[in-house]
Amino acid sequence: MARSSDRPTRERRERRFALVLFLPAFLVLAIGTTVPLFYLLWASLWRIDLSMPWLSGFAGLENYAKMAADPRFWNSLGLTVIYTGSTVVFQVVIGLGLALLVLRIPRGQAALRIAAIMPIVLAPVVVGMFWRTLVLPPDYGLLDLVTQALGLGSHNWLGDPQLALVSVITIHTWQWTPFSFLVILASLAALPPDVFEAARIDRANAWRRFIHITLPMIRPAIAIIVIMRMMVALSAFAAIFAATGGGPGTATEILNLYAYRTSFTDLNLGYGAALAVVLLAITLLVSFLMFRLRRAA
Amino acid sequence: MSRRALRALLLLAGASVLLAVWAFPILWGLLTSLKTERDVLAYPPKLIFEPTLANYREVLFGSASILPNLWSSLVVTGITTILTMLLAVPAAYALARLDLPGKRSGGFYVLATQMLPPVGLIIPYFLVLQRVGWLDTYQGMIAIYLTFSLPFAIWLMVSYLEDVPREMEEAALLDRAGRIRTLLYVILPQVRGGIAVTTIFVFLNAWNEFLFAVVLGGNRVRTVNVAMFNFISVEQTLWARLAAAAMIAMAPVIILGLLAQRHIVKGLTVGAVKGGGRR
Repeated sequence: MARSSDRPTRERRERRFALVLFLPAFLVLAIGTTVPLFYLLWASLWRIDLSMPWLSGFAGLENYAKMAADPRFWNSLGLTVIYTGSTVVFQVVIGLGLALLVLRIPRGQAALRIAAIMPIVLAPVVVGMFWRTLVLPPDYGLLDLVTQALGLGSHNWLGDPQLALVSVITIHTWQWTPFSFLVILASLAALPPDVFEAARIDRANAWRRFIHITLPMIRPAIAIIVIMRMMVALSAFAAIFAATGGGPGTATEILNLYAYRTSFTDLNLGYGAALAVVLLAITLLVSFLMFRLRRAA
Repeated sequence: MSRRALRALLLLAGASVLLAVWAFPILWGLLTSLKTERDVLAYPPKLIFEPTLANYREVLFGSASILPNLWSSLVVTGITTILTMLLAVPAAYALARLDLPGKRSGGFYVLATQMLPPVGLIIPYFLVLQRVGWLDTYQGMIAIYLTFSLPFAIWLMVSYLEDVPREMEEAALLDRAGRIRTLLYVILPQVRGGIAVTTIFVFLNAWNEFLFAVVLGGNRVRTVNVAMFNFISVEQTLWARLAAAAMIAMAPVIILGLLAQRHIVKGLTVGAVKGGGRR
């Protein structure tokens, strides 16, 4: 019975070993994310204007008060809601439609899967540039070639404020719909085939089969997609930055881009930090609500 | 029968349209990169033209060569990937297998750090790196890159380590193999595939990063993404050349993406499954 006596020390040794393995990564994350987070909160209470450094000083809640009366902030907030909401809905609806379609194709699924991976692995900044230089420019862009051939005329896809918003939403949807498509396809393929057989024998029509059987079974996958894609859309940056830079004017300037432009174009880091804090609060709130909804479902 | 054939045909047509929508811009980019600047602007667009490698030559060896930028990207991404894996694998092992004190909250903490919007962190990063003089340096950039690759790598590795049968570990321990040797010689060989996939994803993420690179980099450390972006704002019209640069910059991620294609879904949803606390 020597074992029982050395057991506590063994356990303690294992714990110590676990800590030694975990601590380096933990420290990097604590120093690299948590400390900066508090620094951000602190910076949002200061006037830090690199173009007018002599004005710097403690400002209290001044940045936040300024924000409440800043029409550009409210505009960016509205655009964030539109951008996030529409891209997520499009990704899920189109991705689901495609997955249902592709599931019925006996051959060529592998080729489609490879095509779907392409946009996902590309850098968003490259995707933004691609669309800006090859797809969207008036007259010789791909899209204009199509619309002109169809007799719909030429459009300034990135120069017209409303079209520009549609364009950046389209770019995001183009790049990330393959993701929801792949996830939904994988979860559809994992469903037991006898479920469908039973329903088919019951002569349930296709639509009802989808609503009552398929959809409830893939709901967890859809919930994951919605949560993840909302997080990403809220902090989307590089593709919009490359395609429009937030413009024309502020037509595509979601909150994320406004925070960036304020900080690194206008060099007003204090106000930029306050904007970033609001974005952070929205992100946390959304993730909290989504996870609660998911748990309740 | 004929109605069935028609339906199959329609499905196939739908699928091909899809394929085209996703693949076409990239193929179009490839075509553009092989054209002369004059052919790019031709209307109607030329599908048959004399291909030229002049754009690639210019982009690689010309006056505005992107070779230094490719080197910057490679150094930042490569070292970030190595350091990330060295930190992530042990941490993931502790989370997945060992009696780590505060295990649940530790895991949740790692996940939560991943949810912070990058724009929120870039301001403190900029201010701190500026103060310590690490703006536009490799060490500054790599330190920051670690913060976004680590959480992801840890969670992906946890999911692979959890699949290793516990008996293997226990048997090794009974043989008095010692904890470190068990990890190195028994556990790690079991998750070789997982390590490879995780390494690929960490590399992909770091290679594609733009926001931190554009703010924290500069003349010395300018990644290829940033260089291309500058290209567009300076030389608006040289699109064939830009396309060639984009093709070169995209090549590694496309190759790695194809290598890891079976694992893409898992790689992209990791954390979400656990984070919901449902499974």
